[in-house]
Amino acid sequence: MDFSWLNDPFYREYLVEGLINTLWLLGVSSVAGLLLAVLMAIVRIKGPRPLAWLAHGVSTVIRGTPLLVQLFFFYYGVGRLLEGLPLAQQGLFKDLLRDPFFYASLTFTLSVGAYTGEVLRGALLSVPLGEREAGRAFGLSPLQVFIHLWLPRAIQLCLPTLTGEMILLLKSVPLVSTIAMMDLLQAANIIRDETFLTYEPLLLIAALYLLLTVVLTLVLRQVERHFPGMKPQRSSWWRRQRPSVSRIS
Amino acid sequence: MNSSPTAIPHSQDTRPTPAVEARHLVKHYDQLTVLRDVSFTVDEGTVTTIIGASGSGKSTLLRCMNLLERPDQGELAIAGERVSFGDTVGDASSALSRARIQRLRASATMVFQQFNLWPHLTVLGNVSEPPVRVKGMARHQANQIALHYLERVGMAERADSYPAFLSGGQQQRVAIARALAMEPRVLLFDEPTSALDPERVNEVLGVIRDLADEGRTMLMVTHEMAFAREVSDQLIFLDEGVIGAAGTPKQVFDSNNERCRRFIAPAA
Repeated sequence: MDFSWLNDPFYREYLVEGLINTLWLLGVSSVAGLLLAVLMAIVRIKGPRPLAWLAHGVSTVIRGTPLLVQLFFFYYGVGRLLEGLPLAQQGLFKDLLRDPFFYASLTFTLSVGAYTGEVLRGALLSVPLGEREAGRAFGLSPLQVFIHLWLPRAIQLCLPTLTGEMILLLKSVPLVSTIAMMDLLQAANIIRDETFLTYEPLLLIAALYLLLTVVLTLVLRQVERHFPGMKPQRSSWWRRQRPSVSRIS
Repeated sequence: MNSSPTAIPHSQDTRPTPAVEARHLVKHYDQLTVLRDVSFTVDEGTVTTIIGASGSGKSTLLRCMNLLERPDQGELAIAGERVSFGDTVGDASSALSRARIQRLRASATMVFQQFNLWPHLTVLGNVSEPPVRVKGMARHQANQIALHYLERVGMAERADSYPAFLSGGQQQRVAIARALAMEPRVLLFDEPTSALDPERVNEVLGVIRDLADEGRTMLMVTHEMAFAREVSDQLIFLDEGVIGAAGTPKQVFDSNNERCRRFIAPAA
């Protein structure tokens, strides 16, 4: 095992950049993706027919094709097409359309939107009708009922699934190395090509991913635990417990 | 005694506006007619109970009172806010703006059979949410009002609990506090004790009885016949969407209406 390359400031810089990009991509696409998911879910339940069909179609295509293919499709396909447009020659736009990060976050956002949109749709549908009706009965507007009563309840119901999706998302990030974005895997690839060491860089980024996953899991568990209305889990660490969500019959 | 209001000259009408006035309400579900021409009034400070068999339309009637169900025809006035439905007065239903619906709902709040508390909010949050969202009240002010009414139903100590930690009876008491916190003109109860075990029933009935003694205007649907007889000023027997008998509990219990007699017989 030869880890002497770790002393090289250039390689360190690659790794740090890869780590930061990974976290940025995760952050951007999970936030934007969740917003998209809320939109997709509510449109499919309450939206006008054509919009509901559109959302259904998008969700079917995104969930029915490999993420890697989508990444190529947006970066090499749509990306090259857009570059030909006159608008794309201008400063800000030009940079954006050349940036693999843009295509990676676009693809990942759509993916999160489609997958968690379905999860959220199921959760929204399983919130007892009476809770929404109570909101209406007191004079809350449909939007108020959705934002303050219906959606928080649905999120509460599917929170464990949502956190699982986040962890899967984290581990999809290395795919972006294929479109020349500097993530951890791309950093490892560069190090491999220059030092002819295959396993050591891979081992390092595997360890980093494991660490990220553990940290993310711990953070998300705290979120789950402190989400309003969740039953606090009081028993000790050696006792098994069932996941519990407060529920009213 | 059922003289129509128009027959009385306005100057001599010393009675205050009734809290609830329903006139010729009709409600269909597709082919099925659930309510056919139902009229009644609930005077300020009185308790009216609607009784009747399952499927007689009593829950639908109650839900019409705050427009959870929209009547197809007729007229409804809650605390002076008058709305007409269907073809009786032109196209009045289009004039039912969101603001009017909201006013109507805020002045006739509902206590549900299944409590329908919001599980992601604390007890205090459940009670203060409607005043904050609908009346635009500041949260701290709404919390004060909420605490006041929680105390009223004996649930102030559990203000920070979540509904899942409460018994059915406690949840229903919180739901009553939630309905009170809007300070409505009339309280609507939709079978408030039907989802409770016998022990908890009395706990909730006790609260409702106190409210009746306080002079609250209430409209209730219940199967608790003895209770209905005890607290009600007016009893309405609904049968297949029509009022079969109405009047004081004594009048209804002694009614000649064949179906009413049969319905009441086990309780009388």
